[in-house]
Amino acid sequence: MQKAYKFSILYFLLFSLMLLASSILIFNEKIGFSLQSVLEYYQGNEDKFIAAKSTSGILKIILPHIFAFGLFIMVILHFTVFTKSRNSQVFHFIIYAAFILGLLELFTPLLIIQGFVFFAYVKIVVFFLFEFLMLYLFWILFKSIVYD
Amino acid sequence: MQPIISGLLIFTLLYLVADILVKANSFGLFSSAIKLTLFGDEEEFIEPLSQASFLEFIHTEIFFIMMILLTLSAIYARVSRKKSFSLWIINAVLLSSLVSLIALAISYYFDPLLMNLYVITFFLWHILAFYMATYSLWSLHFAKSI
Repeated sequence: MQKAYKFSILYFLLFSLMLLASSILIFNEKIGFSLQSVLEYYQGNEDKFIAAKSTSGILKIILPHIFAFGLFIMVILHFTVFTKSRNSQVFHFIIYAAFILGLLELFTPLLIIQGFVFFAYVKIVVFFLFEFLMLYLFWILFKSIVYD
Repeated sequence: MQPIISGLLIFTLLYLVADILVKANSFGLFSSAIKLTLFGDEEEFIEPLSQASFLEFIHTEIFFIMMILLTLSAIYARVSRKKSFSLWIINAVLLSSLVSLIALAISYYFDPLLMNLYVITFFLWHILAFYMATYSLWSLHFAKSI
């Protein structure tokens, strides 16, 4: 691989880390990581004067994210194809896991506002699983660029 | 492939110009205007930017910058003739954009003095990206062979 591409990917990884960090901060600031706070954010709370989210409101948030998640996951996975991990059985699992976790992360709010409390748990768990999966992929890429 | 890459480069140039114009009219381009946006002004009844709004702003910026500069760097590295010089340019554009985002976040959370660093690196990466896009366009159309 050309040196310039290696540098570009290393910087891309740094940007990606910042993207993950900012997503955690936004989640913490706007929603919160407890079950109660997730339910309050989406279903509202009259006592605290928090309005419930509407379907159109959620769609407005997830619309740009659908494109961004798809593109981001594709770019990261496409880089890992150039690493030694590409032929492993685990890598195939990671490809499906990344897209499925992304989908769940995006669409669980629509189920939460329908009253399915269980999906508030799913939302929190999936958020962290997605972050850890991305961190693992960043590590594979970083290791491949620096050591291979 | 040439018209496809040319189209992408023209859109990249348009993005760079539009980004500066939009920031000039909303967020602010220079230190004083950005400080006013971020921290508000009690005398002029201007509300400071909330933490949630700031995080949403910087989150979007990170995504757009990383995608645009990754694409642009890949094209520029491919068409550039002087490989060592192109390596410097790629490092400079990516590092300055990264520093601009970090400086902005530090300015908001800790020390507004770093606002000047944000302004300098913001213009630096825009100028370098503009150069990379125009050079790549020129190479695609006028260079003898790549």
